[in-house]
Amino acid sequence: MKSPVGKREKGVLVIGGGIAGIQSALDLASSGVKVYLVEKSPSLGGRMAQLDKTFPTMDCSI
Amino acid sequence: MLDAGRHPNIEIMTHSELVELRGRAGNFKATVRRHPRFVSEELCTGCGQCATDCPVVVPNEFDIGMGARKAIYSPFAQAVPNTYIIDRKNCLNDDFLVCNNCTRSCDRDAINFDDSGETMNLDVGSLVVATGFDVYNAGAIASYGYGLYDNVLTNMELERILNASGPARGHIIRPSDHKAPKNIAFIQCVGSRGEGGEAGCKYCSRFCCMNTVKDCLLVKQHEPGIEELAVFYIDMRASGRGFEEFYQRSLAMPELRYVRGRPSKIIEDPATKDLIISVENGETGEINRYRAGMVVLSAGAVASESNEKLASVLGIELDENRFFKVNHTYSSPLHTGKEGIYICGCAAGINDISDSVAQGSGAAAEAEKFVDKLMLERKPIVVAELDISGPPRVGVFLCHCGINIAGVLGIDLLKEYASGLPGVVHVEDNIILCSDEGQRIMQERIVEHKLNRVVAAACTPRTHEPIFRESCERIGLNPYLFEMVNVRDQCSWVHSGLPETATEKAKDLIRMGTAKAKHLKPLYRSSIPIKQSVLVVGGGVAGMRAALDLEAQGFKVYLIEKENRLGGRLNNLTRVYPADLSAVELARAMFEKLNNSRVEVMASTEISSITGYFGNFDITTSNGNFKVGAIVVATGADIYKPRDEFSYDKYENVISNQELEDIIHESKKTVKIDGKSPRTVVFIQCIGSRDPEKNSACSRFCCPTTVKQAVRLRESGVNVVVLHRDMRTVGSKAEEQYRHARALGVKFIRYTPERLPRVIGNGDKAEKVEILELALDRTLEIDTDYVVLAAGMVPDKASNDAIHEMLKIPVGADGFFMERHAKLGPVETTSEGVFLAGCVSGPKDIADSIAQGSAAAAKVASIIARDSAMVEPTVCSIDQALCRACGECVKICEYHAPSLVEIRPGVKAAKINEALCKGCGTCACWCPTGAIDALQFTSQQIDSMMDALMVEG
Repeated sequence: MKSPVGKREKGVLVIGGGIAGIQSALDLASSGVKVYLVEKSPSLGGRMAQLDKTFPTMDCSI
Repeated sequence: MLDAGRHPNIEIMTHSELVELRGRAGNFKATVRRHPRFVSEELCTGCGQCATDCPVVVPNEFDIGMGARKAIYSPFAQAVPNTYIIDRKNCLNDDFLVCNNCTRSCDRDAINFDDSGETMNLDVGSLVVATGFDVYNAGAIASYGYGLYDNVLTNMELERILNASGPARGHIIRPSDHKAPKNIAFIQCVGSRGEGGEAGCKYCSRFCCMNTVKDCLLVKQHEPGIEELAVFYIDMRASGRGFEEFYQRSLAMPELRYVRGRPSKIIEDPATKDLIISVENGETGEINRYRAGMVVLSAGAVASESNEKLASVLGIELDENRFFKVNHTYSSPLHTGKEGIYICGCAAGINDISDSVAQGSGAAAEAEKFVDKLMLERKPIVVAELDISGPPRVGVFLCHCGINIAGVLGIDLLKEYASGLPGVVHVEDNIILCSDEGQRIMQERIVEHKLNRVVAAACTPRTHEPIFRESCERIGLNPYLFEMVNVRDQCSWVHSGLPETATEKAKDLIRMGTAKAKHLKPLYRSSIPIKQSVLVVGGGVAGMRAALDLEAQGFKVYLIEKENRLGGRLNNLTRVYPADLSAVELARAMFEKLNNSRVEVMASTEISSITGYFGNFDITTSNGNFKVGAIVVATGADIYKPRDEFSYDKYENVISNQELEDIIHESKKTVKIDGKSPRTVVFIQCIGSRDPEKNSACSRFCCPTTVKQAVRLRESGVNVVVLHRDMRTVGSKAEEQYRHARALGVKFIRYTPERLPRVIGNGDKAEKVEILELALDRTLEIDTDYVVLAAGMVPDKASNDAIHEMLKIPVGADGFFMERHAKLGPVETTSEGVFLAGCVSGPKDIADSIAQGSAAAAKVASIIARDSAMVEPTVCSIDQALCRACGECVKICEYHAPSLVEIRPGVKAAKINEALCKGCGTCACWCPTGAIDALQFTSQQIDSMMDALMVEG
């Protein structure tokens, strides 16, 4: 969200902002790692955001 | 999604691409190109005014063209980031007539038509590739008429139609006449399993069967009047935890019928726009025609189109299906051919959500080895506390949430109303209260009006309460003096059609919120120490992987195995599919790595007790005691031992798949049993699986195992017949192996549980198997030398009971441990600091178990990476003077937070461990003496809300 300026720390680059990429980024980040999450479309979410519900628990996808 | 958006360590770059990568593991230089968005991420608040004023309407991609958006838009309501974007292809500004409506409507000057994007150079230690999949283009199968007939849709389109915020508002309507169809037909395997021509895939897309089952249940829920749902399928593949039970539940629906068969074509009745499906029924052999009001094609998943370009940038290979190639030497689905680059989710093949989540975590564990932990945490806020003494002075802040709230509720009416409420001294509205500016204004007003209680009537506490609380904290107001009223999710969104009634409801909600706020008390967080060590229980593949990954990150690891050697099930296998690796070699590679590591391996060791809580577990074992911060449970499962099924106990040549595996293990080139090459071997699937009496779930690994064994036997010249209920060859390369087996001449014949095959023998030997061939409606007799029973997986009950006793992690109805969330928390449990990996949470194959081992490692690392943790003060508190030590709270608490302790000699009372308590308040409701209160939801606070509700209710 923040504009990337200035010197950066060495981090991990995650390519793809769907459910797998988001999970990876979150786990890295909570372990104290700097993460760059790159997504080619204008928003995160991937395919799962398009689903209505998920099986078998029928939870909302978003 | 929102969590990622808010994490201080994550920098999100959307609308961006990796264009160049140099260097190697630990020291990559990555170049990322951000494409122009024409709207500033810093300035845009996502209010949506620009889109309201934009005159251009085009079909939106998110609803697959069934809904509409403007040329300036946000992809969907909950998008992260919520910054708008301009679609320059459709924008009028590129015409000779400059429109500029958006520029004029934006009061923050966020729109910049001169944006030319940005190129950024990043230093990264490692990369994770998670590029997902593309949906198969169903139009490629011309005979189904997708794109030609109005009422032929894809499964993704139906998902959008079913969605309440989708283009049809959740009503199931036919595109041709916008009426509800009387019946719907689903066609499975469109583009999958070699059925999609050039553009299709040879593998099984894995999730479409269950997706269809789910859609059928949802359709019935949305349109109770639906008369018939028909599903045309080849095999129903419900292999995953809870999936088989879910499928069985759908079988009880009177409207739903499953028809085994693959439609050859669909034609449209031009008068009614109904669709006529021609299909050969696989069970009766008849050619049938069905008329359906709507057809849903279960389109499979293919490799993402962008993979080719990305693979060349990364310098890694793609496989024959254009997915990223897995380096099988690790037998892990996460490794590519290049060190420092890891793959997860559908980038390397098809995975369902829970496996994608586990792989995402697993890839994180692998990637972490190449970077330093920087501990980029938010600094603790240290400011002098504001004086909050005296009577409550409540400030109410009303958020418009762009048009989300203000578009429905009467903001001015609410403002006026809130001003008259007792105790309220200031009321103010804001277009986007959570924006930096909105928060700054809120902070100024708190100081200016000496507010000592703050109420925000806005979106939802689930996502935004932490933001508002932090703003209060930053100026010295205790964050727990803030109360949030949900007037968006629970009011304006759900009552969007009834603005007046919704405004009345919002008044009630605000009145209750302010009444509660007056009784809020300051609360303070406490800190608990965290031990930087971990215990891994179980030395199978999942446990070994977790131990290795954690050790590589520098943590102290104890690996306990009750047997005298590591390896678990791997020790009983020959070759491992799909990589076709030798199980012995795979095990040896892992043993060697462990031997050369600092992991403390304790074989032949039993755990006698575990006490404590996350960050601080005390472990007592038969081999010494120690303390750890977290625990990974990877104790595996048992293989079902056949009893009298198919005369297993009677005939010596009826053997289990494990016994056959041992025989193959010892065979040289040609498989010989008792020194002889058998002529015919018959396999029978689903022994102990999909059987409510034993294990109602599908064991997932047995179909691919049978295929692997059948190919091995067939290559030794044996005639092989497989009797099955559905061939469930899901997972990497399994469908291709199944196809290969058929090409080699292995025969597959289906049976139903109503008509089981019969094994007929003489003396102590089975001689033939009798089976009803459904399509021929004829009983076949197959002479056979051996019958192999494909036994499934069952929970290791004794071990699970012992662990449950010590760690209190819940066990499911199936006897396996429960994950925190079936989809989103596959390796977590409801006990903080305790994780699961491998078959202990249900049957899995080796690759999935290894991925889970890595995933558990990532989860553990995120806890023990720091030496202390802050504990939220919104917990339950016990007035020990009122407690009579009945122990009801101890029994009812899901998180095991309360316990009975001696407070004076001979006097016991309950005490709550704040590190374990979630503040849910269940114990408070249960307590017969009223000794327990949930702080932030005290009886006094709730009573005041109820009183407020009744005043004008």
